[in-house]
Amino acid sequence: MDHVIHAEGLTIGYGRDEPIITNANMKINPHEFVFITGKSGSGKSSVLKSIYGEVTLKNGDLHVCGLNIKNINTGNLNLLRRYLGIVFQDYRLINDWTVEKNVMLPLMIGGFSRSVCISQAQKLLKHVKLLHKADKYPLELSGGEQQRVAMARALAHNPVMILADEPTGNLDEYSSEVIWDLLKNAREHLGTTIVVVTHHIPSTLGIDYKHFFLESGVIYEVS
Amino acid sequence: MKSLKNHLSVIFPLFVLLFSLQFAFLTQKIVSDYAQRLTQDYSIIVVAPKSLEEEVVKSRIGGIKSVEEISSKIVLDRLKGSISSQNISLLKLALPKFYSLKLEVFPDSKEVEKIKDRLMESKLVTRVETFAKTHTKIYKMLVLLKSISFVFLIFILIISVLLMFKQMRIWLLEHKERMDIMTLFGAPFWMKSALLYRLAIVDSFLSTVFVSTLYVFLPQNGEVSNFAASLDIVIPKFDTLADAGFLFGASLLFSIFIVSLVIGKTNK
Repeated sequence: MDHVIHAEGLTIGYGRDEPIITNANMKINPHEFVFITGKSGSGKSSVLKSIYGEVTLKNGDLHVCGLNIKNINTGNLNLLRRYLGIVFQDYRLINDWTVEKNVMLPLMIGGFSRSVCISQAQKLLKHVKLLHKADKYPLELSGGEQQRVAMARALAHNPVMILADEPTGNLDEYSSEVIWDLLKNAREHLGTTIVVVTHHIPSTLGIDYKHFFLESGVIYEVS
Repeated sequence: MKSLKNHLSVIFPLFVLLFSLQFAFLTQKIVSDYAQRLTQDYSIIVVAPKSLEEEVVKSRIGGIKSVEEISSKIVLDRLKGSISSQNISLLKLALPKFYSLKLEVFPDSKEVEKIKDRLMESKLVTRVETFAKTHTKIYKMLVLLKSISFVFLIFILIISVLLMFKQMRIWLLEHKERMDIMTLFGAPFWMKSALLYRLAIVDSFLSTVFVSTLYVFLPQNGEVSNFAASLDIVIPKFDTLADAGFLFGASLLFSIFIVSLVIGKTNK
């Protein structure tokens, strides 16, 4: 089986500083639900960033959807990112765009017609129970609502894989439940691979998952 | 309000740039029109022992538009009362021929000297009067006027570039977060920068409209037209299609170049 993510001897770090992750190996199969956990500063977010090419590799190989991130050019990196759905802890919504337009972003980048973008955005906003706030701006919403918008944006273009960095870190119980349900549904109904970086794996999830644990720059697979 | 301020910060340098560009071209047109009229009034007078064939003069001396004989009849008529008609006839035969040479373009002093030398070398004439002093004075004034307008244009261009560059950097900082988010979702370069380019195009259009309006109505102003008439110059009409098209093209080229430069620099 082809892995959607295949890391071998992965070493990542920033500038001339000591690497955060050294010589790590990791394999993630399609449709898997994966958690990456570890203490604060252990490099969880950096691993996720390396998957979508925001952090440069110092050594080793990292294949994502068949593309090696190590020597990837801008064109291929853009192409790869169009197949990914990314959810950030700080939401990263475009504040001068409406909620609806924010959800439309990956579809606009994908070159879909305006009518398709609007209908898909409205469908997803209905899904995250925010259709009534489609015309609002992100700063008019609560943190939980903003994260649900970010989740709708990540799902808008039916990505191959969703990468979520602490998606429920700052959320109340209700919003957290909505986010987990969306991720589970995406995997179950669309076959999306889910990679979540988190401090804490919810005990009520009720699904099989793969778990990687980071400590002292090493990635362990927890069985 | 902030958006209006942002637009004005680009429109203002573009307006100044287009205004000076059009001003330089206008000066150029006025000067060449004036030079054309001077050419019509200016002529070199030559004295020839024999009759001159226009074609011969034209083929041997370049830049000659026409050769006209100056009749000696007026001078001889004046002498009619003082000397006998027999002597007048003798004088008529002895008098050399006078010609007025019109030139194709208004020449500079070197060209005038060249024509004079060629005329003397040709042995067709015995004397040449170029009215060099008057010619040089007028010519230098024209050249000075042209040079001033171009120095002014270059100076304005530098200031406009600096002002635009500063404003584009402000725009870019304002849009950086949005562009970064779009990058994370794989947006191509043109899509990320589209808003900046759109702003540049809109501002180019607006500044062209403002400058064109000014140049359409300025020559119609009574004071301006009186002043131009007193200087014996004609202000050319603003061609709404050609001139405005040229200004819009120049403005577009300039603003798009600055946007690309700033985006390219930031991407590095």
